[in-house]
Amino acid sequence: MTERFEKEFIVVYADDDPDDIELVTEAFEQYAFNVKLKIFSDGLTTLSYLRNLSVVDDSPCLIILDINMPGVNGKDCLKQIRQINQLNEIPVVLFTASVSDRDKEFAKLYNAGFINKPLSASQMEMITSKFIEHCNSDIRKLITK
Amino acid sequence: MSSEDFLQLTYDEQVDLLTTDGIYIGKRGLRPQVSVLYQLDTFYVEILYKKYRLHISSIRCSTSTAILDPYFELLDVPLVID
Repeated sequence: MTERFEKEFIVVYADDDPDDIELVTEAFEQYAFNVKLKIFSDGLTTLSYLRNLSVVDDSPCLIILDINMPGVNGKDCLKQIRQINQLNEIPVVLFTASVSDRDKEFAKLYNAGFINKPLSASQMEMITSKFIEHCNSDIRKLITK
Repeated sequence: MSSEDFLQLTYDEQVDLLTTDGIYIGKRGLRPQVSVLYQLDTFYVEILYKKYRLHISSIRCSTSTAILDPYFELLDVPLVID
């Protein structure tokens, strides 16, 4: 019997809006074969999870941060992620309903992507591929639908 | 752009414009019947969903600040002041 081992990639998603969490979770279902979405509802628990990753834990292949979260918001979270040695090269995307050049500049400054929250089904269809595009190229090839 | 010009656009064009140029003000309602409000130039645009982010029921525009009221009612004022 031959068993095919598929690596599981972890995508961390932090958002305080349960509706958006549900939609993004549904959108990622097409990648359920080898992508596991780890969801957090605020920046603080996200940071706590990331800081407590040990060397034997797989680092996430992508971190998606809503900007407007209570307490530690997505931008503060990004700043702190970039100070964690193990994570300073991990792709991060700021995901927001706001369109702000300042936020886009902030994302650029901290080597992060910037994606607007979709407003329609056609935009929603493209959202997971937009996220996956931010993963490094080796991982992108391995992520399958 | 005026609200009249905006209303001449197709839904897809309106949504694309809001995504790139709209200033998000807030969200109200319970899924799936959720509405979101944006400011675009000098007017406000409210998207009413049949299914949140997936199926738009209608898009309405207003230059009146009265459209903000139901969104402001949802704001946690002490939290905003903090």
